[in-house]
Amino acid sequence: MKILIVDDFSTMRRIIKNLLRDLGFTNTVEADDGTTALPILQGGTIDFLVTDWNMPGMTGIELLRAVRADEKLKSIPVLMVTAEAKRDQIIAAAQAGVNGYVVKPFTAVALKEKIEKIFERIDAAK
Amino acid sequence: MSKVLGSGLVEFENLVKDGAVDLLNHLEVGDFSGAIKIIQELSEARHNSFYNEVGCLTRSLHDAIRDFQIDSMDLVIGEGGNDSATKITDASDRLNYVIETTSAAANKTMDMVDSSVPVASELQSQARALRKDWGRLIQRDLTPQEFRDLYKRIDVFLSYADESATTLHSNLNTILLEQGYQDLTGQVITRVNDLIRDVEEKLVHLVAVAGRVDSISGMEHQESEAEHDDTRGHGPSINKQNNPEVLNSQDEVDDLLSSLGF
Repeated sequence: MKILIVDDFSTMRRIIKNLLRDLGFTNTVEADDGTTALPILQGGTIDFLVTDWNMPGMTGIELLRAVRADEKLKSIPVLMVTAEAKRDQIIAAAQAGVNGYVVKPFTAVALKEKIEKIFERIDAAK
Repeated sequence: MSKVLGSGLVEFENLVKDGAVDLLNHLEVGDFSGAIKIIQELSEARHNSFYNEVGCLTRSLHDAIRDFQIDSMDLVIGEGGNDSATKITDASDRLNYVIETTSAAANKTMDMVDSSVPVASELQSQARALRKDWGRLIQRDLTPQEFRDLYKRIDVFLSYADESATTLHSNLNTILLEQGYQDLTGQVITRVNDLIRDVEEKLVHLVAVAGRVDSISGMEHQESEAEHDDTRGHGPSINKQNNPEVLNSQDEVDDLLSSLGF
């Protein structure tokens, strides 16, 4: 299981990386916005995407849409971890096909719960 | 300010009221040429009053602009360093300092956590192993050789526990001290805030005077309404409670998503 963490703040990437490690996911890669994340995703080795919304260059919602529009990438589960908490934005993310939405500041429990839920659903769909 | 600006208009109003009475008096006695003269006087007074008022407004607008420029000049930091640097540039530097300081503190704290976690894990696994054998000792289930072994292991463990506790203690202290960034960045942000409030006050004054010039001259401006795009993001919401469009917690987000079939 290889996870790509996309956030423009290195401290937030580090926090997410450490929490994921605690959950047993040790294989992670990082990118600082959608523009740098896309080529990594297109490399074809990423199984799970955790992304922020508000980033310079390509934002998280644009990245999500780009992933869903790409034949090869569209089935990658996407978890959004962001400070964006407007009703319309969450609806937009849901419509764009997000698999989970965690608002910052978040707890380790919330992150764990959402990730587990996503994998449960994926397993159930198999 | 409005009192000074409006005084010419009040004078003119009184003049019109008095003139009207005079006009009626002249008309009642059939003195038409006298009446026409009064009308002419009133018309002249109207022109004068209008020009006076515009003049007055122009002057105060000019003053407001000048004040703003002087205050902006005042924003230039004189002593110590770059003369061309304004307080705004300085404020922006200060905010960058906040970003750097908070980032350094966060990283230092995470470094300490990273170096503490393995120590705690090792302490835990050694204690668990010892406790298992200690239990057997209580049950009188140990051979003399195992007992001698346990005897030595406990000595090693106690010295390791002492060492680990010292390391953890020092790491926790470092984490505690790192929180000093809150004080430093708080001071910087307070100063930048004061500057913003100051500049805003001056701008509001300028806008108020300009608005009066508009109302006298009859100029109208089109309000430009810039709607912020959701795609770019808004950053963290500050006044969540007052904004019905913003959700307050993960629970609310979960409720919304589940209402959408998630």
